[in-house]
Amino acid sequence: MSAAYIDLARAHAPLLLIVMPLIGAALMLVSGPARLSWFVAGLVASAGAFVAVDFALGALTGAQPVAAVGVMLHVDGIGAFAAALLAVVAALTIWGAGATLKDSGGAAAPLALALMLCVTAGWIGALLAGDLGSIIAAVETAWLAGVGLVAVNASRDRAALNGALRMLSLGGVGFALMLLGAALFARAAGTSSMESLALARIEAPGLASAGAALMILGLAVKAGVAPLHAWGVAALGRSTSMVTFGVGALGMLGALAVMSRVAGYVMAAPEIGEGIQAALAALGGVSVVVGSVQAVGARNLLRLTAYAGVSQAGCVLLSLALGSPAGFAAALVQLVAFAAAALALYGGASAGRVQTLAMLDGYAQRAPLASTAITAGALSLMGAPLTIGFLGRWRLVEAGVGAGWWWAAGLVIIASLAGVFYGGRLIERMYFRRANTAYAGEGGVWRVALGPVLVAAIATIAWGLAPGGLLRAATSASLMLGGLSP
Amino acid sequence: MTVEIALFCVLGAPLVQAALILLLPKPPGLRDLIHIGFSLFAAGCAIYLANAVAHGETARIVLARPLPNVDLAFAIDPLGAMMAVVLTGLGVLHAVHAAGVVRAKQEKAPARLLAFIALSMCGVTAVAFSANLFSFFVAYQALTLAAFPLVAHRGDEEARPAARAFLATLLASSIGFFLPAMIWTYAIAGALDFQAGGVLAGRVDAFTANVLLVLYVLGIAMAAIPPMHRWLPASSNGPFPALVAIQALAVLPAGGIGILKVVTFVFGTAMEQAVIAAQALIVLVGLGMIAAALIALSKEDIRERLAYSVMAQSLAVVMGALLAVLPGEYAAAGLFAAALQIVALACAASTLVMAAGTTAAITGRTKVSDYAGLGRVMPWTFAGFAIASASMIGLPPFAGAWAKLWLITAAAGSGLVWAAGLASVAAILTFTHLGPLAANALAARAPTDAFKRPDGASILLAAPVILAAAATLSLLVLANPLAEFLSPIWARGAP
Repeated sequence: MSAAYIDLARAHAPLLLIVMPLIGAALMLVSGPARLSWFVAGLVASAGAFVAVDFALGALTGAQPVAAVGVMLHVDGIGAFAAALLAVVAALTIWGAGATLKDSGGAAAPLALALMLCVTAGWIGALLAGDLGSIIAAVETAWLAGVGLVAVNASRDRAALNGALRMLSLGGVGFALMLLGAALFARAAGTSSMESLALARIEAPGLASAGAALMILGLAVKAGVAPLHAWGVAALGRSTSMVTFGVGALGMLGALAVMSRVAGYVMAAPEIGEGIQAALAALGGVSVVVGSVQAVGARNLLRLTAYAGVSQAGCVLLSLALGSPAGFAAALVQLVAFAAAALALYGGASAGRVQTLAMLDGYAQRAPLASTAITAGALSLMGAPLTIGFLGRWRLVEAGVGAGWWWAAGLVIIASLAGVFYGGRLIERMYFRRANTAYAGEGGVWRVALGPVLVAAIATIAWGLAPGGLLRAATSASLMLGGLSP
Repeated sequence: MTVEIALFCVLGAPLVQAALILLLPKPPGLRDLIHIGFSLFAAGCAIYLANAVAHGETARIVLARPLPNVDLAFAIDPLGAMMAVVLTGLGVLHAVHAAGVVRAKQEKAPARLLAFIALSMCGVTAVAFSANLFSFFVAYQALTLAAFPLVAHRGDEEARPAARAFLATLLASSIGFFLPAMIWTYAIAGALDFQAGGVLAGRVDAFTANVLLVLYVLGIAMAAIPPMHRWLPASSNGPFPALVAIQALAVLPAGGIGILKVVTFVFGTAMEQAVIAAQALIVLVGLGMIAAALIALSKEDIRERLAYSVMAQSLAVVMGALLAVLPGEYAAAGLFAAALQIVALACAASTLVMAAGTTAAITGRTKVSDYAGLGRVMPWTFAGFAIASASMIGLPPFAGAWAKLWLITAAAGSGLVWAAGLASVAAILTFTHLGPLAANALAARAPTDAFKRPDGASILLAAPVILAAAATLSLLVLANPLAEFLSPIWARGAP
């Protein structure tokens, strides 16, 4: 009997991945105390992560058929891989946010958790959507939930409203670009269905190029890719851990994953592939340089992490720009690296309510576990050997050199050099300076909330040491673009 | 014990040592016993491995496979085994001396200091036994991170910028130069394994070989090649036990070993393609040797003087390795000179820095001008100081003399007389900044207020100095056996 239910759940896993967080969000509104809400949200997100990983494993190993799974959904390799990653990150972020529930104000915590689940559902929906219109609708759901998450923080700090307003206005621009782009592309390709898109014959390449570029530009706004990242600092600079997790980690990751998926489809058309390659490469290069420079100059840890994320997003775009399966696999590995580093850094910082770099002084003595997590995240952002960050950058450079893109290798080196400066500064402050502020983290049972952060830190190192499974999964996902079997 | 287990032990023992020291910082006796005991154990393992290499045995351990076709692996070879024996052997003396210094000077956080010294020794051993460029890169980065706390140990306004300069120079150069070179090599050869004869041999054109050589040499900033040398003087404000590790036993030797490994196992015969870059680098290195020796002369603080002095000596290692650009027997002579110079430098520099540390601990003096006559009240320490100075200058029969003899012979024999001239000038300048100092310390009238500690130097402080000084005599009898021991490295497909 239970086996039948499991089979049924497996057959409808993509739908479950979207519906479960939404049901969880609805439950938040009736679940009462903040800690109970957190517990329920954690359970829902964990169940979602379990389903997503099971589904991705089945899809990527060929054990479970992929491609068309319903009217509105369409599963491909990148979608399955990234949906699993997002679901796992969502579960970890929700468990990790537990220690700082009061930061949002006790009464607002269930609402914030509900919005985090909506963010998750939105981005996963966009990764599994069956047509361009559904992708845009799902992206907007996630984005508006993110705006709400930032705005909830306004009861604590009025500056949050500024961040929410910026997100709303720039997100609106992004939405308009995506909508226009999708319409142009669908007109040129004769279809907006993802299933047909991979094999579609482009009748008007100019129109299709413009449409694809606008869609990618719209998504770039939401991913915080430089120079379109003006909302990031306002939203994340003085935010709570809920916001940093929900928008800084989940939001950016989701947008980059959706961009990878869309790029995979539009670049499959040889008529427009080169133009999109150039656009992605230019955007990626600018993002690497601008993000790195701004991260080096940052005095606020949350901003520093956001800027480092911008630089990392640039590396993802450069990987995508290569347009080859190796490039897409490198992009997926970099998404994993970004997720792990962001979780480790944001989580480690939020455990002690650290916002400015000065608050990190002597942090290793006050919060050794959180400092370990931050160190692992910083090392990964540097691209230090034996971390997932090194692996991601190596794969990009390898694919870039294979394609003759030496300049891309140079940009990756620039990103790593900048990482040495800002990452080294974090480590120096934590381990070699005396504390000047009291530790504000909670003790007792809520230290368990550090668990997910440490899981991310361990993953950062473990995948750097033994990346075989991850590389196989990323390679398999990159070869299953368009829902084709590997 | 199998060779693999010995290799695992020589790499792992310092890690256990560091963990135990941090876990058992008190009582000090137990802490020091752990430090010295594990150092002895590591040295024993290194000797076992050298013996195994001498008998033709091989061993390789793979810890992880982080990239396709690239392992995090360590293997024994004659060069690595010889360096491990020398560095871990001197490491035992350093462990004894460090235990004495932290007691005499009442250093703050002594357990942390000793633990990171152990980790640095682990780093240099890993560098010596690295089986491929990736493993070398990992070990190099690990050594940088392990030595960083040694520079920052005091945590004051002087130490923090010094530590930042140390970390930034070493990491930035390795990522900015070495990493691209490694990726380029991977793109060309499809592998990163160290191979006798060179992994790039027959695979590169002249342009690629020249650019790669520059990237590799500048990327290994631990060799203190100008302008990547700033970390060395910056680190000279650290506590004396840290200085021994940085300047004599771990960081600086790791640079020399790295250059030798790259020239021998990555380039091999491909060095012949990199003539332009090699000659330009020899000029840079030669001028750097002279400049460093001159700057040393201007330094009043003994730590700064020794920092520039060892920099000049380290550059001689690079010069010897770069002489491999020339075909024939003189290329091998240059490589052998470089290997001997690492040994000579480790012996002499550790003696000098330990002697300066003993002096500072007992008399509180760190100014060169305050050394006059101290040899009369601390005869053992300053006898060691004088012997090590003679070795650094290149006076026979001490170790430095043989290394410099081979270096000058290789340079002159291969037609690069100007390179031999640069090395000779540097040796003369080394005499000017170390010779009078040692002579003045031994010959001048003894100061009446010499001792800060009335009981004088304990055996922990004096014995390691004199034993390390005695080691500088070792090459008198060991030069030929070492040449035979190392010959397999360049005998196959010799550059």
